Amino acid sequence: MQLIVNGTTETYPAAALTITELLKLAQVESPEMVSVQLNGEFVERANYGNASLKENDEVDFLYFMGGGAR
Amino acid sequence: MKGFATKAIHGSLLKPEAHGSLRPPVYDSVAFEFSDSRQIQLAFEGRKPAHAYSRITNPTVDELEQRVRLLADAFGVVAVSSGMAAISNAILTLAEAGTNIVTTRWIFGNTYSLFEHTLKPWGLESRYVDMTDEKALADAIDDKTRAIFLEVITNPQMQVADIDHIVAIAHEHGVPVVLDGTVTTPYLFRSRDHGVDLEVISSTKYISGGATSMGGLILDNGLFDWKKNPKLAPYAKQYGPGALIAALRHEVYRNVGACQSPHNASLQILGLETLSLRIDKSSANAISLAKWLEKQPQVKVVNYPWLESSPYYARAKHLFPHGVGGILTFDLASHDTCFAFQDALRLIRRATNINDNKTLIIHPSSTIFCEFSEEQKAAMGVSDSMLRLSVGIEDEEDLIEDLQRGLVAL
Repeated sequence: MQLIVNGTTETYPAAALTITELLKLAQVESPEMVSVQLNGEFVERANYGNASLKENDEVDFLYFMGGGAR
Repeated sequence: MKGFATKAIHGSLLKPEAHGSLRPPVYDSVAFEFSDSRQIQLAFEGRKPAHAYSRITNPTVDELEQRVRLLADAFGVVAVSSGMAAISNAILTLAEAGTNIVTTRWIFGNTYSLFEHTLKPWGLESRYVDMTDEKALADAIDDKTRAIFLEVITNPQMQVADIDHIVAIAHEHGVPVVLDGTVTTPYLFRSRDHGVDLEVISSTKYISGGATSMGGLILDNGLFDWKKNPKLAPYAKQYGPGALIAALRHEVYRNVGACQSPHNASLQILGLETLSLRIDKSSANAISLAKWLEKQPQVKVVNYPWLESSPYYARAKHLFPHGVGGILTFDLASHDTCFAFQDALRLIRRATNINDNKTLIIHPSSTIFCEFSEEQKAAMGVSDSMLRLSVGIEDEEDLIEDLQRGLVAL
């Protein structure tokens, strides 16, 4: 599956992915501190598990704390 | 970890420390380097959790923020250079020209000055009400109101408003409550449990560990839907509940430059570790001194919320069951009597801080409030015969002996 993650085109070895799965697969740092945008829209944390990603979706991981990985 | 003191002492060391240091290191560096160009780009875009420049984030300051977050169960915390920086950054983030905040004249003199002398010329209106008059409060709120601002216990009037009811009124109108919790800290008052949206704290006071350093804290309790605030709505679209912290970090706090130094953050982390011990002792001393002063014939009135004579006694016992901290005020006969009393003291220091380990005294009318007219001071509840005592953690009998010395001089 091809996704645009933080502005870069990435290919993942999976036919379908949720945001929860992508957070792990992309080894996102400090996932508890990150805000996720899917195609420019904020996604509630509670929906990470059921937000299915489509081919060429744009996903952005944004940090509002500015630093401080636990 | 459940207890406040345990969390304060063993709170988050964010990353394993290279040498096993039990104290968080002081990262005395302005800038931090990156392995390649892409990594520094991602950090600047907010897409990588990394420190780049200490005006924006610093690892030692971050440790303080995370430890306070843990203690208060807050959603996010930003540490700033002073308590006034916490208030100004919070208000600048929430409001803008053409909007208003609803507050009270019974607040710290410099806060009133910020609202009236600094922010008013930029187009922000401050509406002043008696926070114990709930109808007046509700009537003052309109569709341009961006915050209700009050102090947890007003300084120096020692008023305790019905915070729970004020929060209910504010939320009915879709407005967040900003509470200055300096004199209680999350140890005596957990603002999140009372629905307060933002808490600002001068960590220069109790938290610094004994007047060691300047600092301020902004705590977002994660309760308010920032989409309701027109200025924060674009941030809410990107960051959801992190909108206010993001707006601070990426705009107001970053651009104003009121960052806390890593040295101060290190001192304040150490201060946090003994916070509960010091607040317990100063609160115990304060109630003893308040009761003693109440019995002295030269003293006209004593204001301390845990005195049964206080009009706020029942409310203070309910809101602050573990104590109300170390600030009390009392009235003598006149301005001159206050000066004579202060000048006779040998142990208690004449100084303008609060919540130091040392007991401090000041005549608010001639100092903190000296820029205001007599009429303004009257409206602010500051009389010429009032003294403010910030009770420290010394031995009670020595403090009473010194107060006795002051009264003998009258």
